[in-house]
Amino acid sequence: MALEKLRMIKDLEEITKGLISRAEYFRSLTNEELNFREEAESWSILECLEHLNRYGEFYLVEIEKRMLYNTTDEGSDSFKPGWLGNYFVGLIKIKDGQVKKIKTLKDMNPLHSELNHTVIDKFIKQQKQMIRLLDRANNFDLTSIKTNISINKWIKIRLGDTFRFVIYHNQRHVMQADRVLAALEKRKGEVV
Amino acid sequence: MDPALQLIQEVEQTLVAKAKLLVFERNDFILQAGAVEHNFYWIESGAIRAFYLTELEEHTIRLGYKGSLITSLTSFLNGTPSEYYLQAIRKTHLRPIPKTTFQNFIQEKPVRLQQYNRLLETIVVQQLEREIDLLTYSPVERLQRVLTRSPHLFQEIPAKYIASYLRMSPETLSRIQKS
Repeated sequence: MALEKLRMIKDLEEITKGLISRAEYFRSLTNEELNFREEAESWSILECLEHLNRYGEFYLVEIEKRMLYNTTDEGSDSFKPGWLGNYFVGLIKIKDGQVKKIKTLKDMNPLHSELNHTVIDKFIKQQKQMIRLLDRANNFDLTSIKTNISINKWIKIRLGDTFRFVIYHNQRHVMQADRVLAALEKRKGEVV
Repeated sequence: MDPALQLIQEVEQTLVAKAKLLVFERNDFILQAGAVEHNFYWIESGAIRAFYLTELEEHTIRLGYKGSLITSLTSFLNGTPSEYYLQAIRKTHLRPIPKTTFQNFIQEKPVRLQQYNRLLETIVVQQLEREIDLLTYSPVERLQRVLTRSPHLFQEIPAKYIASYLRMSPETLSRIQKS
């Protein structure tokens, strides 16, 4: 089923703006709060964002590169998702608040790495860059241009699917960070 | 003696001697990007790096160790939010000199203004040297240039920050050092 391209871009942009304002809120928290984890093996707020930064380092460069090396095309105003793109998006997009857990690849797992506020600053910079890319995206054919993916050298997905995948993935883990914060606040309320 | 060095020496003897002592642990931030820097700092012990953060990585742009002065210069001079972070590389003792204190000190005597002019000239020249650093194609030559200026760099600063300062990977730096 084809999507209206401009509509889709605007939706993704709105999500990304929302993520920036959440990150700006996280920035006001203390180091201790940002490093709080519910269980020994679960992520802190900073680790959620660091996980996204590592993906961003790959995808922001990849998306920009594809836009540089392809000509603009103002003719197409629809985007047709690919089956593979739909599969990946279906895997990570949160539907009706239901989260299905997925195992993280080892080099994308930031658990117990030494992190500080710069993780948040970097995340915000990445999201601002994402918005700049989305602003340009309407001038490209998001169906015919393909990008690499981070986990496999041989597979390519449609540029429009790459945007959807990365941004829904960002949304997923910022929501996770929000749950960590909620758990922290609940714990603070407990009388010891 | 160079008038700029004379000024620095006098700053050390008068302002630094009276300044309070700040202690930072390893990885502590002296300044975060977005904040305005109102001081410059005399490094009494330890080491500091100034870095610029992009969407992809941290770029170390300045390094400072015992006996040198450091600040986020644009923010200090213009009073604008800093683009750079200042972070302690290891436990560091700093003596902050507030901008107003420094300005009063400079304006006290005409000779100090002349010395200050010379100091600014020195900074401009250093910036141009740094520009050539970054434009130098060969990593080996980039390393040689910085070692000529600061022979003790490796005794003071961990290699990973020197690599970032020289715009190369830690692996490349280590390979060059071995050869």
